[in-house]
Amino acid sequence: MTVPQQAEAGPTTRPAVEIVGVRKQFAGRSRRAPGRLALDGFDLTVAPGEFLCLLGPSGCGKSTLLNMLAGFSRPDAGQVLADGQPVTGPGPDRGVLFQTPMLFPWLTTLDNVLYGPRARHQLDAEARARAVELLGTVGLADAREAYPHELSGGMRHRAAFARVLVNRPRLLLMDEPFGALDAITRVAMQRFLLDLWQRERTTIVFVTHDVEEAALLGDRVCVMSGSPGRTRAIIDVDLPRPRSIADTETLEFVRLKRRIREALEAEHHDGDGDDGDGGDGGDGAGRVAGVGPAVGHADRSAGEGAH
Amino acid sequence: MATTSETPTGAAGPAAAPPQLALAAGRTQSFSWRRLAYGLLGLVLAAAIWELVSYLKDDPVILPSVQKTVSTFWHYLFQKYPAAQGKTLWQHALVSGARILAGWAAGVVIGVVVGGVMASIRIVRYVLDPLIEITRPLPPLAFIPLFIVWFGIGETPKFILIIVGVVPVMIIATVAALDAVPPELIQASRSLGASPLWALLTVRLRSALPPIITGMRLAMGGAWTSIVAVELIAATSGLGYVINNAGVNLQTPLVLSGILAISVLGIVFDSLLRLLHRFADPSTR
Repeated sequence: MTVPQQAEAGPTTRPAVEIVGVRKQFAGRSRRAPGRLALDGFDLTVAPGEFLCLLGPSGCGKSTLLNMLAGFSRPDAGQVLADGQPVTGPGPDRGVLFQTPMLFPWLTTLDNVLYGPRARHQLDAEARARAVELLGTVGLADAREAYPHELSGGMRHRAAFARVLVNRPRLLLMDEPFGALDAITRVAMQRFLLDLWQRERTTIVFVTHDVEEAALLGDRVCVMSGSPGRTRAIIDVDLPRPRSIADTETLEFVRLKRRIREALEAEHHDGDGDDGDGGDGGDGAGRVAGVGPAVGHADRSAGEGAH
Repeated sequence: MATTSETPTGAAGPAAAPPQLALAAGRTQSFSWRRLAYGLLGLVLAAAIWELVSYLKDDPVILPSVQKTVSTFWHYLFQKYPAAQGKTLWQHALVSGARILAGWAAGVVIGVVVGGVMASIRIVRYVLDPLIEITRPLPPLAFIPLFIVWFGIGETPKFILIIVGVVPVMIIATVAALDAVPPELIQASRSLGASPLWALLTVRLRSALPPIITGMRLAMGGAWTSIVAVELIAATSGLGYVINNAGVNLQTPLVLSGILAISVLGIVFDSLLRLLHRFADPSTR
């Protein structure tokens, strides 16, 4: 199963997201303190149908970037384009999933899902049918009339997915959506998201600070460093699709994780070598973005042996 | 927030949902006979102590017995007080209830509007904050002479006096409630396609509604506590008037009857607001 992996897929396809020379500064607390420069001259392109992970430490501007894509804030300079159109404000074409599900606690699950159509005055039989169908897809068919406080953490997240998907967004923006979940639920949600993306192929920009999560989910991982936020490296993930949680135990996955981790850590000891722990590794070439599929398709049994 | 952690299969299977739901339903508070029994026990104990003290004291002016109080209450429900051109306890209660409802409703509207503006416009908040902080600790009683001079001795000063007690409570409750709405909730609404106005009405205000109703309950309690003071102002009717007048005439059983009536009305009004709160906030059902 092939995936449109390169942002520069071709001149004919319009990128789903285009970020050009974006700069964003937050005001300082006092007049003397300079404002914090969250992003400066940041570029990023995301191809249609791509699953892009933004990975970096907190404060590296990844959430700032996502907020600008969602339309919650404006860049001080530069351009943010979604589907070729400048982002001027929030809209249902760009679905946002927050760290917590942010369901409306006074509405039942079904009414939460129907919030979007109702707000746009497009609540008709078709929207209702789609909402019911989506609740079935996310495994909440029996929880339609339940209120958010009656759902478990994972169920709430899935309800939030359904609420966003009912609007048929062209782009999904996720800001560490599983960060607050326990490890077991998080794995379940990652599996759910992989299945979902496999079916719908919506473009996804996914912010995380978890290396494993980024490697498991993304087509590309954009490793960022902070203050101001810059792209440290863009790493292609050549693991075959569809992926499953079991893939995290393969050798190629472990190698990939190491490449990402090294890219992350490179900023902290720039220049003083990245030997240390690994020793041999045999993946010295891995630093550069866009390693060929040769590494990616190493066989799985070997991977498990090494693990 | 207690959450049941998800089973690994839960992500895919709708079959995983029903048991979790059942579990969740068990967490919600429900009516408990046991709790009710203990509550009644407390009331009975208090009445027993009252009865004992009145028996030992044996002076109905200082403390009438429970039976005497209850029979007086019953008597004046249908008997006019004072006998000449008076009202029954029922009618007095209606008068007080109407006064409180009018003042409270006006105070709630003013408080919510002012609080809403304060929560939205920073400069307004900066200007009004010290004013509210100064007026809040003042007992409404302190304003009585002033309001009589300003508004005379009709219904107006009584109305204003209740408003003065209600408004600061409602402003503080409204500002706190609106401040507590997570910005992400409004962002979620906007990114689902809501216009700014729709998001304001259906999310910001709606989300602040339960704590505002709690503020309304507090304000209602405050209004009842000030009714006696309010009806000191040249009143000829109302429960506060009954209590004041009966006290002057050393009719202690009637004083206690008036207090009992205020307590009953207060509970009724509060229950209605609690019902409204349950309606507004599903997680308390």
